[in-house]
Parts: sequence; structure tokens; C-alpha cells
Amino acid sequence: MGKVFLRRAARDLKAGASRYLALSLLIGFSMFIVLSLMGSALTVIDYTKIRDDELRREDGEFTVFIPLTEGEIDEIESTGVTVDPMFYIDCEMSEGKILRVYKIRDDLNQMSIVEGAAPSTDEEVLLERRFAEVNGINPGDEITLGDETFTVSGIGATPDYNTVLRNFSDAVVDSASFGVLFVTEEKYDQMLSSGNYLSTEQYCYAYLLNDSMTDDELRELLEEYEIDPQDIQDEYFTEYWDRMTNQRDDLVEGIDELVEGVSELRDGASDLSNGAEELYDGVSELHDGISELNDNVPEFTDGIDELNDGASELMAGVQAYTDAVGQASEGAEQLAQGAALAGVPVDQQSLAAGFEAITAGGEELEAGVAALHDGTSELSDAAGELEDGVSELYDGSSELRDGAEELSDGASELNDGVNELYDGINEFSDEANDMIDDIFNVDTDNLISFITATENPRVDSAADDVQINLSASIIFGVLLIMLFAYVISVFIVHTIDKESPVIGALYSMGVKRSTLTLSYVAVPVLVCFLSGIIGTLVALYTPLGIPSQLQDTLNYFSMPVMEIKVSPFVVGYGLLIPPVTAFVINVLVIRKRLKATPLSLLRSEKKAAQGKQFNIRGLRFLDMFRVRQMVREGRSTMTVVLGLFLTLLIAFMALNTCVYCLKVKTNYADETKFEYMYTYKYPTEEVPEGGYEAVSEELKKTIYGYSFDVAVMGITPDNPFFDIGDVTLDSTNVAVSSSFAVKFDLDVGDEFNVSDKNGERLYAFRVASVVDFSASNMVFMDIDDCRDMFGEDDDYYNVVFSDHELDIESGRLYSTLSRSDLVKAGGIYVDQMMSMIIIMSVASAVMFVVVLYLMMKMMLDRSSFNISLVKIFGFRNREVRQMYLDGNLYIVAIGALLAIPVDKAVMDYIYPRYLISNVGVGIRPSYSPALYVAIFAVIMVLYLLINTVLVARIRKMDPAEVLKNRE
Amino acid sequence: MYIETKGLKKSYGEGGSYVQVLKGVDIGINNGEICVIQGTSGSGKSTLLNCIGGLDTIDSGNVTVAGTSIEGLKGEKLSDYRRNNLGFIFQFYNLVPNLTVKENIQVCEYLTKTPLDMDELLDVLGLSEHKDKFPSQLSGGQQQRCAIARALIKNPKVLLCDEPTGALDSNTSRDILILLERINKQYGTTMLIVTHNNSIKNMVDHVIYLKDGMVHKDYFNEVKVPAKDLEDL
Repeated sequence: MGKVFLRRAARDLKAGASRYLALSLLIGFSMFIVLSLMGSALTVIDYTKIRDDELRREDGEFTVFIPLTEGEIDEIESTGVTVDPMFYIDCEMSEGKILRVYKIRDDLNQMSIVEGAAPSTDEEVLLERRFAEVNGINPGDEITLGDETFTVSGIGATPDYNTVLRNFSDAVVDSASFGVLFVTEEKYDQMLSSGNYLSTEQYCYAYLLNDSMTDDELRELLEEYEIDPQDIQDEYFTEYWDRMTNQRDDLVEGIDELVEGVSELRDGASDLSNGAEELYDGVSELHDGISELNDNVPEFTDGIDELNDGASELMAGVQAYTDAVGQASEGAEQLAQGAALAGVPVDQQSLAAGFEAITAGGEELEAGVAALHDGTSELSDAAGELEDGVSELYDGSSELRDGAEELSDGASELNDGVNELYDGINEFSDEANDMIDDIFNVDTDNLISFITATENPRVDSAADDVQINLSASIIFGVLLIMLFAYVISVFIVHTIDKESPVIGALYSMGVKRSTLTLSYVAVPVLVCFLSGIIGTLVALYTPLGIPSQLQDTLNYFSMPVMEIKVSPFVVGYGLLIPPVTAFVINVLVIRKRLKATPLSLLRSEKKAAQGKQFNIRGLRFLDMFRVRQMVREGRSTMTVVLGLFLTLLIAFMALNTCVYCLKVKTNYADETKFEYMYTYKYPTEEVPEGGYEAVSEELKKTIYGYSFDVAVMGITPDNPFFDIGDVTLDSTNVAVSSSFAVKFDLDVGDEFNVSDKNGERLYAFRVASVVDFSASNMVFMDIDDCRDMFGEDDDYYNVVFSDHELDIESGRLYSTLSRSDLVKAGGIYVDQMMSMIIIMSVASAVMFVVVLYLMMKMMLDRSSFNISLVKIFGFRNREVRQMYLDGNLYIVAIGALLAIPVDKAVMDYIYPRYLISNVGVGIRPSYSPALYVAIFAVIMVLYLLINTVLVARIRKMDPAEVLKNRE
Repeated sequence: MYIETKGLKKSYGEGGSYVQVLKGVDIGINNGEICVIQGTSGSGKSTLLNCIGGLDTIDSGNVTVAGTSIEGLKGEKLSDYRRNNLGFIFQFYNLVPNLTVKENIQVCEYLTKTPLDMDELLDVLGLSEHKDKFPSQLSGGQQQRCAIARALIKNPKVLLCDEPTGALDSNTSRDILILLERINKQYGTTMLIVTHNNSIKNMVDHVIYLKDGMVHKDYFNEVKVPAKDLEDL
């Protein structure tokens, strides 16, 4: 039976040749693209692995101030690690082109010769492939370095310059102006001795761990190697070293002075304590005296009061006396008068005079006593005041004593504190001196830099880059095949519906469902299988396939032309995924249809039921008809929408890439306000005039499995190149570059961590503002806070920004980044990706058109009998179009309105996580409203084109012919 | 009895649309017999055929064909029952449109280990010269003959025919009936024919007349009219 059904499948295929051909082409094309990307990626990845082994690619590299001694190398190699010197000098070619000169290699990072041969004489050089290619240099050509001319004996590549970056921090490869060159050992030494190069020789070593130790262990070992700074030849280092050691002396001196000061303070505090104690004793004695005085004053005042009372009494007595004298005087006068009368001679005059004298004396006495009384009275008042005063004096002296006591205690505590301070300062002095020794000892380590191959952006970057192509192509390949298999399944379902009674008849004879399922699945499986074969063959064996994709890689990365690896995975994917996907999809779709009972199939019950599903009141006939038609053709409608979703997703991948690349280009140009950014190796003491200093510290942050450098940039408040907005920055609240904010999905107010290079220390920050700067992941903070945070001096800086070129010796610098470099780098993304963007956009449009055309055409074909019937009834072509075709306008329009935001959201989710997860620059590929409108317009225009073609088909439908084909 | 139904009941729908189509049908058909089931539209004759053929489920009662009861048979077992016992002929042939005559027959040839001889069958059915034609290249009678050949190739014990001449003109109908008669004689196939055509009852052994879902008449023809002599087809 299988043969019979196979023949039937072949005839089905023949009958739907145009439709299946179109689908085959799409499937084949999709597989071609997918397998080209996949094959190219696998070729690069496999080649990289093999090459890494064959050419002994380094596990990492390090640079040192002075070459390692033989003993040090022996010590390292005794552990099993291989170390190979990769010393180099940078020499200038014409037009500012820089060539990095190495000796030819024979152990690690060996050269692979692409063309020609390795240099055999001192006059020959081997040139790195990308530089040679971009500058049009071929073997046999001559190049001039300084005043020397060399013949290019060959073109090659090395694994340590897979991406030919001059500095690790460079954003992009510029092979027009930088390349690598290999000369004989003798020639290298000769060039070195001539001094005709740009900066001092760099002592770089590559290492291979050979599983004998870890990178960290090697680094720790290297950090143990110390050097005498005087041995270092670099003049800028020497200057820097002298400055740093002067600073050390200043620091030590300052600490000594601090110790002395504290010692004096301790003596002073001791004296103060003793004085305070004596003061307390004196005040205590004074207080005791006053206390006694206070105790005695009441007795004194009592005496005064008694005196006053005595004076009062005396005054009263004197008064009585004077009164008595007066009376006695009167009595004497009367007596005298009586005597006179009595004739007793009385010397009245004398008596009167005597009494006068007594009276006068009495009056004087009275006056005197009165004065005495007044005096005692005043004395009494004064004694009272004295008592009060002494009492207050007593209180005061009590307080004074208490104060003196407290003063004494305080002085004693101060003394204790100062003693402790003294001890502390002495300890601080010891530790600070140790620390200074440690800090300044860092620069006496020989190690300058240490980077593992994994972290090295020059190594294996092509393989990293294509890894994304590989993942994306695997996923999209399956998605596309699923779409096309589903499209085919729609045709199969159409056939099944048409042949429903036949299937019922076969069932009734005992033919099993599995047999029929296989017979119906045969066509899609066959179509997909054949298309897969074609796509696979074109991808694997034509220049349009893998070689073309490989060329994209070769256009950026420095690698030899790779032999295409026909990976079993690629072949298996190309040959198995299409038919297997088609089988699974179609079995799932068809099985349900074939599950119906033989009787329902014989009666075509499904078809009869579909027309009755809808009845909306108030809808005019044509609209109702269209709705019913859409419902009846639900599967095709769903396929159209599904196709729209999937093809639009591909289009959005292209558009996201396009927008991303264009934004890189424009943002780099618009947002880079500085003209030059100089990163120092050995900064000068004074900031160059016209420059704005900054402190930069390289930290790390990881996202989506990739670790990215983050520059914490301490900038001065007057830095005009970064607009941090109206916020105050400190050590916690920082501004971040828009690249960083987008890459790590941060907004104002969010908190985040970054770690140091070794991941041993975390720094936590809060986003205070976002600075428009897409070219780098930067965290901005105040320069002083930055210096404090990273333990730098108050005048330390290692970066200078400027709006014009500054006269800085290149030997002082790690790198110079100019705005024009950035703009050029931004443009390279567009140049590199544009062909892929165009291919993907066109491919998605073609896929959409084909899927939509096939589905709409099938809808018409399914309704061909009805169309001819309504034509016979007298409906015009325009009305037939409205009934059977125009409903699709709403489906496409609504589908597009739904698909555009959903697909955009899906792609925006996928894009940073899977497609550019290894790209350091964070730019949101947001579309302008106009672009959304344009996308919608393109979809509708494509629909209208298809509609126009199908209207012609409606016109051609002959009613009589269709009726003749009826049972 | 070769084919036997006892108390066969079958209904469709629920509530207001409930229809009791078969209300307890008891019939018995002997091996090698040609039996016609007649009745007005809605009398249940096609439903009875479908129930016997295992194409439709039964509410109650039992159906036994060649000693096999279909009670409780489902899915693959029901397929096997049909595969091993039955052949079907339909009013509208139901041929696979993109298979030739021979290929359509081959579809069922593979269902049995002991098929009839293809060439002989084609010859018997007068299809030898059309064996490589597609259904659309054949006349209605030729298509029905092809459908008969497809049903017979696996040498079924029972041939169930649902209006086999319903779509054919009088002469072609006669040809088909002659063929069925010949096959019955040649291969001893038991045949159950559902038809509206009143003339066909004259050529068969056994006539069952259904009315309102019940057996109204059930009799054997004492004298059969050869198919070639049938009138008013």
C-alpha cells in the first residue's frame, strides 16, 4: 500500500507544483541562510578550537616592567607552565599607520601563513592579514618603516590577534591604520637598538598553563617578583616613580610629625591634669574658709543686734535721764522759787546754769546715744547683708569647688585620652609606615598587567562573535520550518476536507488511520526534505553559502582562510530538521482531521457544520458573508496571522539591528562632546593645560553570561563633556552613561553593584542621573569621592578629556580615544551589518508575501465552486472580491496591528539577551512612530499587491468549468 | 445466520431533536445470500447498514457478522473487523481521485493476505483496459465498477452496498447489478444492498422492508429475476 500512497503523494506534488515549488524555494532559501550562518559559525568555532591547539594559543599574557630573569622563568616553568616572550615595539609606517613589530614565533601563538612565507632574511617581514588586505599589500610588495624598507614575504595571522585591537580598550578594529608585523630575531634586535620606534619596548609574555596551575595562581606567583625601579628604562615611569617616592617621603615625614605633635599634646595634657588637681585643692581650701566664715557670721550679726538693742536701751535710758534732768531742773526751779519764796537763798542763777549745763549735757548724751543707735542699727543692717553675702559666697565657693573637681576629673580623663591617643598614634605610625611600604612596594612588583585569554578581547573573539549566529540560526531555522510545514499542513487539511468521503470509504474498508496519516504526511515531509537537501547543498557547496558568511567574519577578524567544515550537525540539521518538523506539525494537524468517524467523513459533516457557526444580527449581507468566510477559513486565517508574526519577527530582528547600528553611529557622533580622551599610564604632576582631569577605575559587571568593563569615572564639577543634570553626586549617588543604563536595564533610583577585576570586592551605587553617552559603560561620580573610594591622592588623575588635541607624550599613555575614532567605530557597525539587514528584511518580506499569497489563493480555490455559483447568480467581480477576498484586508490589518507591538516586544526581549548579549554597548533599538507607520504601510502594500493578483484570478474563474468539475 | 441483528436500536440527537431511527431491528441473513433492504426515506435502512458495517455505534441490541459480534469493538479492533469481513460500495464511488483504477484497487489489496487475483478481477469487472486511467477519466458506471473491484479485491465475506446504482443511469445500473449477481455466484459473497430502487428486490434472495425503524416485511423470493431482465431501473 505504501507504494500506492507514495505514487499518490507524487501526483499531489505534481498537481500543486507551483505552490509546492514556491514553498520549496522558501524552505530551501531559509535553510540556505540558516545553514550558511550555522556552517560558517561552526567552521569558525571548530577552526578556532583546532587552531588554538595547533598554534599553541596562549592561555593568557602578562606584561612586566623589566624582562623576567632566567631564574624567574625557570621557577615558573618548573611548575609546568610554559612562558614565551612576546616583546614588541610599535613603529610608524607612512600616513600615521602603526605596525606592532614582533619576532617570528616558534612556540606559543604561532603564525599561520595565509600567503607567501615567513621571513627568512632580515629584509623580509610577515604582515598580519587584515592590515595587508585593507591596505592592499601583497607578498612581494615593499613597505617602509621609519627609514627602513622591507619586503613582505608573507601574509599571516596569529591567535593572539584574532581581533587586531591596538589596545584592549579600543572599541573597534581599525585595520587601515594598525596591524602586526613579524621580523627575524636579528632584525628585531637591530630595530630595537636603532631606537626608531614610538615607545619603549613592551615586555609581554604569553603563557600556557598546561593544566599545572590556575591563572590566579600564576598571577600571584608573578606578583611576588620584585624589581629595583632603577632598572626600569622607561623615562616616564622613572619620573612617575620619583614623584611617587617623594610623596612617600612626605607621607612618612608627616606621620612622624604627627607622632611628635601627639607626644607634646600628651605632655600638655599631663600638665593640665596636674594643674587642675592643684586648682581643685586650692578651691577646696578656700571653700572650707568660706564655710567657716559662713558658720561665724551669724554670731557676729547676733552681737551686732545685741549691740543695737543695747544702743536702743541706752538711748531710752538717756531719754529717761534727760527727761529726769528736765524734771529735776523744773523741780529745782520750783524749789528755788519755793525757796525764794521761802526765802531760802538759793543761787537761782547758778542752779539754773547748772541745770542748763546738765540739760545740755543730757541732750548731747541723747544725741550721742541716738547717733550710737543709728550706728548700731546700720551696723545691724550691714551685718545682715554680710550674712547674706557670706552665704552667697559660700554657695559660690561650693560651686567653684565642684567645678574645680570636674575640671580636675576632666583634665585627668583628657590626660588618659591623650595618653591613649599617643599610644594609638604610635601604633598608627607603625602601621602607616608598613602600609606606605606596602603601597609603594606595589610599584616595585615587576608585573604591570595580567590578562587571561578569556578576558582578552583580541583572542578567540571571532568564535565568540559567531556563537550568536549559531544560536539564532538554530532557533530561527526551526521556527521557519515550522511555519512552512504549517502552511503545507493547511493545504493537506484542505485536501483532506475535499477527500473526506474517500477517506471515509477507505476507513470503512478497514484502512487504518496511521496508514492514511502517513500517506498525507508524505508530501510535506518530501517537500521539506527535498527543500532541505537543496538548501543544504547550496549552503555547503556554493560560494553563496558558508563561504559568503565566512567572508563576513574574515572581513573583520584576522584569521586565515578557513577550510569549510561540513559538520555532521549542519548536514543533520539541513536534512533532518525540515522533514522531521514537517512530519511532527502535519501529524499533529492531520491526525485530528483523520480522527473523525468513517461515517462523519463519508457525510463530510465537518464541512457542513462550518457554515452555520455565525449569525450576527444587524450585519448587512456582504459583511456577514465576509465574517463567515473568515471563520470558515479559520485555519488559513490563522496561518496568515502566524506567518505575519513570524516573518515580522525576522523583519524586526533586521530592523532592530539596523536601528541599533544607526543609533551607534549617530549617538557616538552626537553624544561624544569631548574631542580627545587620554588614558594615562604615568600621569604628569600637573594636568595638561586645556584638559579636564578625571580618575578612572576599571570595574566589572556581568549580564547574560558576559562580563563587561565598567569605567568608574571621577570627574570634576566643571567637566563640560558629560551633562549629569541637576543632581549632586557622591560616593553612592552616581550618574551612569546611557550605554550602561540600557545594557544593565537601570533607571534613576535603581541600585546596582559592580565588582573589581578579581570579583573580590563589590561597590554599590544608586543611579542619580543618566548621562547621554552611548560609547562606553561609565559610572560618573565626583572626582574627590572617586579618589577617596579607590585610595588615591587628592591630586591624582589618570584620564584627561579635552576639546582639542593636547601635547602629551605617547609614552605616558595607555590609550588615546578621539571623537573621530569613535564616530568611525560607530560607522563600522552599519557597514558590517547592512548586508545582513537587507537580506533579512527582503527574506522576511518574501516569506510574508508567499505565505499570504498561498493562503489567500487557497481560500479562493476552496471557494471556487461557490464563486462560480455566485457568478452564475449574477454577482459582479467586484462583489465577489468583496465577499471572498476583502475580508483578508481586515485580517492582515488587525494581524499587523497586533503583530507589530507583540513582535517588537518579543524581539526587544530576545535581542539584548541572545543576539547582542556579547556586545558591550547598550543602546535601546527603539523605533520612531514613523517607522511603525512605515512597517504597517509596507505590510498593507504587500497585501494589496497580492490582492490585485488574486482579483485577476477571480476574474478568470469560469462558472461553467467549475460546475462541470462538481461530482 | 451469517449476519444477524437482535433488538438493534439506534437514535440520534437529544431533547427536542431526539430521533429513534432503529427501534429494535431483528434480521438474519444467510451466508452467500443477496439481501435488499428497502424502505422510505428516514426508515433507517442506511443506518442499519452502517451499524452492521461498524460505521455507526448502536444504542442497544447486537450485531453479529460471520460469527463476530461488534458489541464493544472500538478503534483498531473495529477497523480489523471491517478489514477482515466487509467490503463497501457507495453511491458516489469515493475513489481516490489521483490514483488510477488499478491503484485504487491496490489500496485495498494490501489489506488482506489472500486477495483476489487483480487481473482476473479487472477482467471480470471489465476494467482491464481502464486500469491505468484516473477516476476523472471514467464514466460513472466504470467508476462504480472500480469501487466494486476495490471492495472485492480483499475477498470480503460480506459486501455492503449503499445505493450502488443511485448515481447511475438505467443501463449502467443494470450492468452493475449483473456484476454483483455474477460476483455473488462466482465468489459466494454475501451481499446487503440498501436501495430505493424497487426493481432490485426482484433479483435477490432476501428482502427486508423497514418502516419507521422497524422491520415491516422480511421475506425470501421464491423466484428471482436475473439482473439482466430487471425493468424500470
